[in-house]
Amino acid sequence: MKRKGFGFYLRIYIKILTQDLKSKMSYRADFIISTIGMIFTNIAGFVSFWILFRNFPSINGWSYHEMLFLYGFSLISLTPVQCFFDNNWSLRINVYNGDFIKYCFRPINLFFYYQSEVFDVKGLGQFAFGLGTLIYSWGKIGLDFTPLILLKMIVFLITASLIMIALQNAAAATCFWIQNSFYVMDLVFKFKDYARYPITIFTPVFRFVFTFIMPIAYIAYYPSLVILRPDDVPILSWLSPLIGCAFFWLSYKFWMFGASRYNGTGS
Amino acid sequence: MKLKKYLSFTRIGMMESLQFRLATVVIVIGNLLYLTIVFFLWKAIYASSGTDVVNGMTFSDTLIYLVLATALFNFMEMYTVWEMGRSIQSGKIVLDLLKPMDYRKLLFWSYSGSFVMNFFTTFLPTFIIVGIVTGGAIPLKLNLLYFVISVVLAIMINYSIDFIVGTICLFTESIWGINIMKQVIVLLLSGATIPIAFFPEPMKTIVLYMPFQSIYNAPLTLLLDGSPDMEDVLMILGTQLFWCVTMTVISKLFWKASLRQITVNGG
Repeated sequence: MKRKGFGFYLRIYIKILTQDLKSKMSYRADFIISTIGMIFTNIAGFVSFWILFRNFPSINGWSYHEMLFLYGFSLISLTPVQCFFDNNWSLRINVYNGDFIKYCFRPINLFFYYQSEVFDVKGLGQFAFGLGTLIYSWGKIGLDFTPLILLKMIVFLITASLIMIALQNAAAATCFWIQNSFYVMDLVFKFKDYARYPITIFTPVFRFVFTFIMPIAYIAYYPSLVILRPDDVPILSWLSPLIGCAFFWLSYKFWMFGASRYNGTGS
Repeated sequence: MKLKKYLSFTRIGMMESLQFRLATVVIVIGNLLYLTIVFFLWKAIYASSGTDVVNGMTFSDTLIYLVLATALFNFMEMYTVWEMGRSIQSGKIVLDLLKPMDYRKLLFWSYSGSFVMNFFTTFLPTFIIVGIVTGGAIPLKLNLLYFVISVVLAIMINYSIDFIVGTICLFTESIWGINIMKQVIVLLLSGATIPIAFFPEPMKTIVLYMPFQSIYNAPLTLLLDGSPDMEDVLMILGTQLFWCVTMTVISKLFWKASLRQITVNGG
């Protein structure tokens, strides 16, 4: 089969996206309430930080603004998984009731087609909130701002998002084997809340676990060190773009492997 | 004979949740992971603060409080809002409304079986583990009895709040947004994210006047105090009882009033 190019997929994506947005707009109340809900979540996260630092000026050598930086960084890096890969949450239901079969009959990449079907607009609110937090803490810490740093920032943000996308893909794909994979998704979804803490608070054993086994340290900590502590960047931070790509590729293969085992429900 | 009717729902619920053994394993793993993160995070926080007791809470107290709050959350979360929202969207609610039983009771009792199972499979293991990790910092005296009474009241308050929120879904037909708002507000204002003792002053007083603190803060405060004043115990339980009655009445009236407005799509 002839491989289809990037332009082809981009055109298809835009077409599907417009349809999705049109259908979303017909449920306007739901859209508005969901957006408010998302903003609530972010404000609550912010408030809990604020309360914590009212009692303690610093945690393990990390100041309030540095922690806010990590928080903002994690919010932005979690935006792509929220916006572009939200259909993973429905995978379980689609597989269970047999609707998944329809995706298998299209002459385009199965993974691409499945994920393209939903674009979650709520994620944009999170992005704006994260960006605001990041800029605020950036100013307060007094970090430099040059084009090179901006470039670094973008590269490492993408890296961080790839990790979370990979984790979610893998969690969603477990539904090809187990019935009730909601809990697996939920568990992985909670990882994002843990990602905002510096990994130095853990003992070496757990640092190892959270770096190599459950790579949540890559969602915010390692990539953001490049910007936050530029004088003392561990090798793992520089490696994180590679690790991000590797994890994404592995999760993609795992997802596709699961899908290839799918037999349909016969209906 | 009336109780027998309800208990048969409990039995079915227990059998149903036995079908999802894997979910239990995942929840326990999730709790252990949370325990690990909270342990190290607060250890770092207490190490940075330089004192052993902050706002009247030691490190062990905080750890027990937060981990058990999560365990209670898993135990109490009935997904009422989801269940109601989905029934409303699919029209299944019509069938439930036709049953010779109050819908509010039907929903509660059909979930009660999972309460029993969740208690033994997720709450109790977490309770024992956190007791061991903190070196037996949970006082095992009469406070356990107060705790149990308090949890029963908390379940009823939580259910009533959920039911009110679920009723709102009748009007909005939005589930995700409403549910996430409820969850965020309850978890933050009930002290499940950060113990209420840490809240700054005006906020703390306001929060203590709200019904949410009766869900997690009240039972956990009772559990942590090995030799409480009888007056305090009665005060806490009395407040809970007050909210329990108030919320139950509100949820019943709201449901009754809303039922006349109901529009069901198909079914």
